[in-house]
Amino acid sequence: MAARKANKVVTLAEAASLVRDGDVVALQGMGTQMSPLALVRELIRAGKRDLTIMMIVGGIGLDWLIAAGCVRRVIAIIVNLDEFGMAHAFRRAVEAGEVVMEEYSEHQLLSRLLAAAYGLPFLVTRSGLGTDLLAIHPETMRVIVCPFTGQKVVACRALEPDVAILHAHRADAYGNVQFFPKPIWLDADVFPRAAKKVLVTVEEIVENEEIRRTPIHTGIPYFKVDAVVEVPYGAHPCSLYPLYSFDRALFQEYASASRTVEGTRAFLEKYIYGPTSHHDYLQRVGGAGTLLRIRKWE
Amino acid sequence: MGEDARDYTIDELMVVTLARQFRNEDIVLNGTVSFIPVAAILLARATHAPGLTWIAGAVGVDAQPEPLIGNTLDPTMWKRCVMYLPQEHMWSYVHRGVLETFCIRGAQIDKYGNVNNTVIGDYARPKVRLPGSAGMGDMGSLDKRIFIWTTAHTPRTFVERVDFRSCAGYLEGGDSRERLGLKNGPQLVITNLCVMDFEPQSKHMRLKSVHPGVTVEEVQARTGFPLIVPKDIPKTELPTVEEIRLLREVIDPHGMRRREFRSTSGRE
Repeated sequence: MAARKANKVVTLAEAASLVRDGDVVALQGMGTQMSPLALVRELIRAGKRDLTIMMIVGGIGLDWLIAAGCVRRVIAIIVNLDEFGMAHAFRRAVEAGEVVMEEYSEHQLLSRLLAAAYGLPFLVTRSGLGTDLLAIHPETMRVIVCPFTGQKVVACRALEPDVAILHAHRADAYGNVQFFPKPIWLDADVFPRAAKKVLVTVEEIVENEEIRRTPIHTGIPYFKVDAVVEVPYGAHPCSLYPLYSFDRALFQEYASASRTVEGTRAFLEKYIYGPTSHHDYLQRVGGAGTLLRIRKWE
Repeated sequence: MGEDARDYTIDELMVVTLARQFRNEDIVLNGTVSFIPVAAILLARATHAPGLTWIAGAVGVDAQPEPLIGNTLDPTMWKRCVMYLPQEHMWSYVHRGVLETFCIRGAQIDKYGNVNNTVIGDYARPKVRLPGSAGMGDMGSLDKRIFIWTTAHTPRTFVERVDFRSCAGYLEGGDSRERLGLKNGPQLVITNLCVMDFEPQSKHMRLKSVHPGVTVEEVQARTGFPLIVPKDIPKTELPTVEEIRLLREVIDPHGMRRREFRSTSGRE
């Protein structure tokens, strides 16, 4: 499907339907930055189950998905709300044995993804030698000996996500996805290459001619993209540099609310299950006043 | 060095102590929730190490974001940088050893400088699930000179043996790190009470200096294992008036460095 040069513009609900229960989902997001959170809210409303969520740095979207009961397993190097502290739903679920955490160091996880991106069975790293991370993952990491030098290295087994979901600045209808600046974080760079399916939400869908004027900004070519959705402020409450900042007020509200199960449920009700549309969501988080504030990076 | 400051706070003493460890030729990047290292890197660059290269949030090469306003991975940190470093390039520099210095903190630190930020208790069914190892799982194994900082010097932080080794320090002590083929390792531990290093043979943590107003007995009482305590323990060197002025007026007037005293060592 991806390879077709065809119109791939769909609605949020249609994009969500391309994620199946039990999928390994590569979810973009780096701390308080660049995460397809409008699509995450749609996955929650669609009642997805038994997902494995893979993020490099797990954040607020992952915590919502866990709180909503969508997640069975997490693959990440760290999970928190950056400067806003612990991801409480994650912590509670792992401590209760409801969610399995598969923890890697960053270069171990990158090696697993790059192996998949190249179609290789594994890649090697030195990261994690001497740590307990190796012992907990015998199915995906083994210490092996270099056949040339005898050096000990860690073999990291390929990890091919079923679907990658991302948010970017703009795309055309075919799925040529552009970033301003070009992808910096690993997720936007590597997830689309490692995953079977790629779904992208963007601030704006533009004409194909517009893409051809600025090909240096294209980070993912149409032949790797399956669906495109236009969602202005689709990363909110995360930032999309340089267009808008993360929403400090909403992060703070969630960090406080999520200290209890009841508070978390009330937050999800108010901001995820309650809104009738993305527009309605933006109204509930403060409407024009909030959007102006985050555009000014305040 | 200039005149000693009389008016300083503990966060400032920690930043200044860490800043003085950086060398002019160092290339340093910072991780998440790392205001104290970021302030220290900027202070070092503004004082004794003008040639120091900082990769802001592991992305912004030689960035100039003073004053600090965002979190330590935020794009606001990348201001006036010369390059947005693609993360695969960053990892090649880290792996190969072009970058040699890294600062970390964690929920548990043991007597051999191994650090835990993964779990308290059993991995599969933890008593406390901590945020995770992130970059420390890499840096401990990749020959870095590691500076450990914590704003919570308590017996809960400084333990005989970590529940989970997220970061490779001196492993079981002695030459165990070297035998695994890992170079360098933890250099110093800077806390809200004191500065510690590691005894060269045993690689056991050793008291180096105590902060003004803190006693050796107090440090030992708040450390969960017997420290090596040399005979004469000096006071930690004071910040200078100029260092404090730079920190307060130029580098961090909004006091971002104090945020690390809010949620210490990744726990609530």
